[in-house]
Amino acid sequence: MKFWEGIWLALLQLRAQKLKSFFTLLGVIIGVTFLISVIAIVQGMNRFVREDFATAIFGVNTLQIHRRETVQVGREDVEKRRRQARNPFLYRADADALRATVPGVWRFGYNSDAFLPEVRRGEFRRRNVRVVGGSEGYLDLQGWDIADGRAFNPLDYAYGLRVAVIGSAIAERLFPDRSPIGERIRVGPHTYTVVGTLKKQGGLLGNIRDASIVIPFPAYRGDFAVRRDVVDEIAIKFRNTREMDAGRLEVEAVLRQRHRLRPGVENDFAIESATQLLDAWQKINRILMAALPGLVSISLVVGGIVIMNIMLVSVLERTREIGIRMAIGARRRDILLQFLIESATLSVMGAAAGVVFGALLAQVVRAATPLPVSVAPWSVAVGVVLGLLVGLFFGAYPASRAARLDPIVALRYE
Amino acid sequence: MTPPNDKIILTEALTKDYELGAETVHALRGVDLVVERNEYVAIMGPSGSGKSTLLNLIGCLDTPTGGRYWLNRQEVSRLDDAELARIRNREVGFVFQTFNLLPRATALHNVELPLIYAGVPAKERRERSAVALEAVGLADRMHHRPNELSGGERQRVATARALVNNPSILLADEPTGNLDSTTSAEIMGLFDELHAKGQTILLVTHERDIAAHAHRAIQLRDGRIERDERRALAEAIR
Repeated sequence: MKFWEGIWLALLQLRAQKLKSFFTLLGVIIGVTFLISVIAIVQGMNRFVREDFATAIFGVNTLQIHRRETVQVGREDVEKRRRQARNPFLYRADADALRATVPGVWRFGYNSDAFLPEVRRGEFRRRNVRVVGGSEGYLDLQGWDIADGRAFNPLDYAYGLRVAVIGSAIAERLFPDRSPIGERIRVGPHTYTVVGTLKKQGGLLGNIRDASIVIPFPAYRGDFAVRRDVVDEIAIKFRNTREMDAGRLEVEAVLRQRHRLRPGVENDFAIESATQLLDAWQKINRILMAALPGLVSISLVVGGIVIMNIMLVSVLERTREIGIRMAIGARRRDILLQFLIESATLSVMGAAAGVVFGALLAQVVRAATPLPVSVAPWSVAVGVVLGLLVGLFFGAYPASRAARLDPIVALRYE
Repeated sequence: MTPPNDKIILTEALTKDYELGAETVHALRGVDLVVERNEYVAIMGPSGSGKSTLLNLIGCLDTPTGGRYWLNRQEVSRLDDAELARIRNREVGFVFQTFNLLPRATALHNVELPLIYAGVPAKERRERSAVALEAVGLADRMHHRPNELSGGERQRVATARALVNNPSILLADEPTGNLDSTTSAEIMGLFDELHAKGQTILLVTHERDIAAHAHRAIQLRDGRIERDERRALAEAIR
């Protein structure tokens, strides 16, 4: 009950002097705000990179095989770029061979793409469009959902029909007045029939997809391919990371054999997955997380020193009170405890305010960016415990000063 | 040696020296004092006579340089800080000239304080404090803060606080020093009442008419008891 008395006193102090308390606790508030918000944001970035960004580029547990690397991590390597420019093209036959031999394939697809200056329906037009020629299973593999109409069927492939599934941005622009399903559009010099529309994706990478037209690979091969049977990308999706890692070795072996590479010669193709991107992100992440404790502890130490100062003033101001308490039976350790509890309560209140501010900051970032920012429960616990420790540590000296007072002198203190 | 039951205070050649720079000040030069149960004693003397020092020693706020002191049959002259705090809590009730209430706490909470340090559970604490406040006639002022109370009321709160833990002795240091004459009479009336109920009271004052309430007057001079006179009981009670 002496314990509650101490907390009650500290809260009274806080209430009596709100502004002074705020400035007293500013250091602790800033420190904990920083801790909470930075961890929330970094974890949000983490999740974004892991779940949205990296997998949006490469897909979950998906290997992408290109003639050369599409994503460069780290410093630009001109020499490597020049070397990769001489790599051979990938062909449909390569894709078929991979599909036949790689174990554990769950979804498989390949595609080529081209950028067209515009697509048109009557006077409606959309500029800068990406046309993708996808193999059977391509939409499925990419996880692109049909909003309206249908996806491609085997007949579209077998007969090389000029049918198209269009992105939402194109559908909106070309068909402001009616449903696009069954309508004809001009894709470059050719006329295609729209059989379906894609769900709107939005966001960082979704915008590109929303402005895409997907057509069956055979139609693409006939109408848009510069080199027939060349595929720009082969994608293989596995059920889990372990199978993907095993598959990666097999893909490498098959392609090296087909390209007749002798042992020791570098690959003349690129196998990429989200793993590479994640590794690079992990490095950045580690640096951020290593700098955080330093920054937080600086503000906590500054905050602690301010608390110590204020507590010393408080002990002086309340010398008489300490004398009274001693006269009616408070032991030295009761006084010590009272001031320790008081500084700890103050500091924990500061930490609590920091948690609130940090959470607010995290909410602002969440609202303003696509990052899925959310406060980590463990960071709240760490913040509050740090607040407690700062209060106890920096309250120890003022509290011991209070406890060492001579009751007679303290009682006479004016 | 343990003093008999009825001797609340027993001192033997009590001395207290202070170091004041290079000089040693002999504040008490050997005081032998016996106060029995239900005595009502006034300590008088000019400033510098050792009144306050004696009161501090009797109240266990300080330890003597020499001599021995028993309070309620327990020798307290050799106790350490924590034990002295316990004695102050259980055996002594202080009333000060300047009231010495906690300004931010209500009357009730002020009275509760000694019980908090005695480790009394919250519910019992509140009940006993309320009873103590009723006993000094402040039942309707329990939830007022000191600055909402008159001087006389504050001194009543202080008296309730001093008595709430049933101490062996009530020590009052110029309890009417900050009060006007009407209020002084009121407080002294309260003390008389407490004495009549059996409370042992030791009062420091320099006013003759306040000292007249006690039935025994001790005159201090230069750290020694100069005079110790008992009035007839009839006169003391009046």
